Amino acid sequence: MKEKPVIVTRNLRKTYHDGGVPVEAVRGIDFTLERGEFTAIIGPSGSGKTTFLNLVAGLDSPSAGEVELSGRLISSMSGRELAAWRRDHIGFVFQAYNLFPVLTVEENVEYVMLLQGVGARERHERVMRVLEEVELADMADRLPSRLSGGQQQRVAVARAMVSEPDLIIADEPTANLDSATGGALLDTMKRLNEETGMTFLFSTHDEVVMERAHRLAVIKDGRLDGGGSGK
Amino acid sequence: MFRRMIVISWRAILKNRRRTVITSAAIGIGLASLLFTDALFAGLIEFMVDTATETWMGHAQIHGDGFRETGRIALTVNDPAGVMEKLEEDTMVRGFTGRLIAPATMESSMELRPITLTGVDHTTDPDVTSLSASITEGGYFTGDSTELIIGEKLAEDMELKPGDIAVLTAAAADGGFSSSLFIVTGICSFNSERLDRYSAFVNMEAAEEMLALNGEYHEIAVLFGDPRAAEDNGDRFRRMYGVHGNTAEIWPVLQPQIHSMVQMVDVSVTVMAAILFGLVLFGIVNSLFMSVYERMYEFGVMKALGTRTAVISGLVLLEAFWLGLAAVVIGSLIGWAVVSHFGAAGLSFGEMEFTGLALNRPIYPVLEPGRIWIYPVVTLVFTTLAGVYPGIHAGRLNPSEAIRRSL
Repeated sequence: MKEKPVIVTRNLRKTYHDGGVPVEAVRGIDFTLERGEFTAIIGPSGSGKTTFLNLVAGLDSPSAGEVELSGRLISSMSGRELAAWRRDHIGFVFQAYNLFPVLTVEENVEYVMLLQGVGARERHERVMRVLEEVELADMADRLPSRLSGGQQQRVAVARAMVSEPDLIIADEPTANLDSATGGALLDTMKRLNEETGMTFLFSTHDEVVMERAHRLAVIKDGRLDGGGSGK
Repeated sequence: MFRRMIVISWRAILKNRRRTVITSAAIGIGLASLLFTDALFAGLIEFMVDTATETWMGHAQIHGDGFRETGRIALTVNDPAGVMEKLEEDTMVRGFTGRLIAPATMESSMELRPITLTGVDHTTDPDVTSLSASITEGGYFTGDSTELIIGEKLAEDMELKPGDIAVLTAAAADGGFSSSLFIVTGICSFNSERLDRYSAFVNMEAAEEMLALNGEYHEIAVLFGDPRAAEDNGDRFRRMYGVHGNTAEIWPVLQPQIHSMVQMVDVSVTVMAAILFGLVLFGIVNSLFMSVYERMYEFGVMKALGTRTAVISGLVLLEAFWLGLAAVVIGSLIGWAVVSHFGAAGLSFGEMEFTGLALNRPIYPVLEPGRIWIYPVVTLVFTTLAGVYPGIHAGRLNPSEAIRRSL
């Protein structure tokens, strides 16, 4: 039997009010993301990529339409339900270095598991395993301020995947990195995607990401250009 | 999770060291000021009550009914021997002394002045009043019936000094007038206008003879072992001694203006505390809001990762708690050090007069045991509560907006 898609959006819309003026950031997007995909949402600045990702992740509520994540309709969940859903089903990598500055690498990575109530021993084992995978096990005790930008993003990737979510959403993960570091980060993510089958959805306008994506979905003026069916 | 929250909040406080130090020091100095002011006012109250009671009045007095209102010399204490016997047996009473009091005139070779004549029992008076200790020239009573002690301002006005002669004239209880010749043996200073300018003290026997009142008293002044007993046991004292034609009253009733001042001082400290805690509230709310806005991205990411609103609000509350704790440690140490220093050295106000009482000796700040922990605890509670609003604000941040706005 075919597995359910990780993401299905139907006629997804989001309208902001900027100083009382309505701004349609997302205008009726129908989108499907299958399990195990490594997909990039691309488009110019202000095209609605980040808004779309926020809607898919349940960080924002749609003005109209539906978001289904692993068969569950998240657009109708309460704030509390959504928080628990994000914690258990979605991993995030943000554009800016998004680690907690007062926590060590290990503490940052285990944070989501702490929210999930995973025991200390299991947390440590899983954190060290995933840090090995991103080649940062020897920096577990460091604070983020003592890491390079690329290393910080790898820690963010480790944190996103340590709880084995259905989907990892990465909003312009290479935006603050040079191309070599960004490329290395993407290679790490692609390797993890191939090894674990974890689903990745990026927003980007970085060619480094586009080159490595299985599929490119183009958003222009809040609409999916050409349906985003393939590269 | 709670342990991790404690770690995060504590490290966040340490990370912003400058702000932590400035905020905590500001609140701490406020707390120290409050502790010191409270201690100073407590010392001032102690001084005022001591001066008002132990100088002359006593903590309580017993009169014949109507004497305080009319001053009629025939209205003496009923059954004085019985009253004194009861006072003797009263464990709360440290000392008591009987007095005769009458309006009189005093005449020297230069002047004639209206005065209050007071007959003093020189054997019990030193246990209750500071008359013997207030002598600035000459000496205290030895028992001679011609001895006269007058206030220093009266002495100045009438140009009298020890060894000079003065004639006192008073109306006696039998309806006649009586004049007696006295020799000034002592000049006293209570730093009180009433006592220093209008009082003349003579031995009890001399007063009895002048006023034709043998073995009688107009007033029995009482000192309690614990000065606070007056207020705490006022009703008991009234019930025990305000019977059989006598009136018994404690100092807050006898000196209502001093009592009002004590209450006013209490209100002043409360108002000061309210102002301080208000400032603390605004200071800490401001500081925490700065922290929340600086770390909006961090809170946004926390929410995105699934952290519950209550956990984020709790984090801000914990930060407020740490700030408060640091402030309480700083404030208590400074406050304790300052109060200890001035508690030993005293604070001199020169010859300043406060509510008719001359602050002629140093005031020693006293930190009452309850206050040592009440102010710090209230400061800590207030500081922590001040985190509620910023905490709610941080907890309610929309994650996508928080992340977008901080990029």
